[in-house]
Amino acid sequence: MSRRIVIPSIIIFVALTALILFLSPHNMRRVQAGFLGMISPFLKTGSSMEKKYRDFREGLKTLEQLESENKRLMIANKELSATNQTLRGLEIENNRLRSSLEYSKRSVFKLLPARIVARDASTWYNKIVIDRGSAEGIKDDQPVLTDVGLVGKTSVVSEHSATIVLIADETCRVSAKVEGTQEQGIVKGERVSSGSTPSIGLNFLSKQANLTSGANIYTSGVGGVFPSGVLIGQVKEFKTRELDGHATVVPAVDLTTLEDVFVVVGESK
Amino acid sequence: MIFFGLLLIAMFLTLVAQHFIDPVPVIGARVFLMPIIMFYGALALPVPGMLALAFCGGLMWDALNSLSVEGNVEIAMGWSIVLYAALGALMGGFRPLFQRGRWEIHCLLSGVCTAFIVLAEYLMITFRREPVVFFFDKEIWWRIGGAGLVAVLLSPFFFFALNYLAFLVGYDPQPERSARRSR
Repeated sequence: MSRRIVIPSIIIFVALTALILFLSPHNMRRVQAGFLGMISPFLKTGSSMEKKYRDFREGLKTLEQLESENKRLMIANKELSATNQTLRGLEIENNRLRSSLEYSKRSVFKLLPARIVARDASTWYNKIVIDRGSAEGIKDDQPVLTDVGLVGKTSVVSEHSATIVLIADETCRVSAKVEGTQEQGIVKGERVSSGSTPSIGLNFLSKQANLTSGANIYTSGVGGVFPSGVLIGQVKEFKTRELDGHATVVPAVDLTTLEDVFVVVGESK
Repeated sequence: MIFFGLLLIAMFLTLVAQHFIDPVPVIGARVFLMPIIMFYGALALPVPGMLALAFCGGLMWDALNSLSVEGNVEIAMGWSIVLYAALGALMGGFRPLFQRGRWEIHCLLSGVCTAFIVLAEYLMITFRREPVVFFFDKEIWWRIGGAGLVAVLLSPFFFFALNYLAFLVGYDPQPERSARRSR
C-alpha cells in the first residue's frame, strides 16, 4: 500500500486517539452514557432471549406443582403483609418517639425496581447493567439493594439503562458497622476472589475487635451515599494485621444469581 | 469497504454477545470474542483499515468498561485504542504469511495478544489503585492465560467464518493463495 495513504491514516489515528485520551471525566461519562444508551436495546433483547431459553430449559411445570407453588406464595404473601403492617406501626411509633426526643424523622427509602439485563464482560470489574436510567429518575452514585441486602451503587447512567458497580468490586467502598458492637470499618471488594461466590473485606477494624463468624455487617450511613442499616453480609473470618483488624465478609445477596434489584431514588414522603 | 463495515458490525455484535457468556468454569477466565475479530481484521485489511478497526474496537471497549471512581478516572478512555493498534500492528507483521494462505501461527498469536490485553488491563488497574502491589497468584494467571487459551481455540472458527464472509462479499484477504489456486 502506498505511503501516501498509510502516513495520513496514521496521523489521523494518532490525532483522534489523543483527542479521546484527553477527554475530561465529565465528557468521558457522557460518551459512556451515550454508548450505553446505544447498546442497551441489544442487551435487553439478548437478556430476554437468554431468559426465554432458560425458561424453556427448565420446562413447563405440572398443574399440581403450580397449585402447590401458588399456595405457598399466597401464605408467604399473607405473612409478609402482616409483618409489613406491624413494621409500619413500629415506624410510626419510632418516628413519634424520635420527634419527641427532637431527632430528625427517619423516612423509608423510595425504591425503583429494575431488571438486570447484562453482567460485566471484563475480567477485573464487577458490574451489571440494569434496564432503568435517567428517564426513570436514576442518577450517579445511588445505592442499589434487594430485599436481602446491599448490592452496590449506580455508575454510568444513560436514558434507559445504568451500570451498577457491585459491592464485590474493589472500587466500591462502603462504610460499615458490626451488629452488637461499636466496631466500624470500610467494606471493599477484592480484585480477584477465589470460588464462585465473591468475598469482600471489612478493613480498619480495631485489633481487639475479635469478631465471631456469622456476625451481621450493616451500612453505617457515613459518607452519605449509602443509607444506614442496610445489611451487607456476614463475617466469615476475622484476623488481625499489623495496624488493624480485617474481616472477610460473605455478601448477604448472592451477586452471581441476581436478577432483580431496587435503586434507592430518594426518600418517600 | 463493505467487508470493513461487516467486520465493524461483527465486532459490535460480539461485544454485546460477550455479556451473555459466562466465565469458563473453575478458572474464571472470560471469553473474549471481539479481539479475535479485530486481530483477523489486522491480517485481512491494509494498515488504514486495521487502524480504523483498532480505533472503533478500543473506543467501544473503553466506553463500556472504563470506570471513574468518585469523579476520578481510573483508566483514561483511549488506552485500549493504543493497545489494540499496537497488537494489530504486531499481527500485521504476519500478514504476508496470512496472504499466502497460512493461518496456524496467527491463531496462536491471536490468543497471545488476547491474554496480553487482559494482562495490560490488570497492570493498569494495579498502577492506578493504591497500594501499588503487583500481586500474581494462580487465580490471576489463570484468568489471563485462560482468556488467551479460549481465544486460541476459537480463532480458527472465527477466521474460517470471516474468510467465508469475505468471499461472499467479493473481498479477497488472501490474494496470493487465490492466485496459486487459479494457476
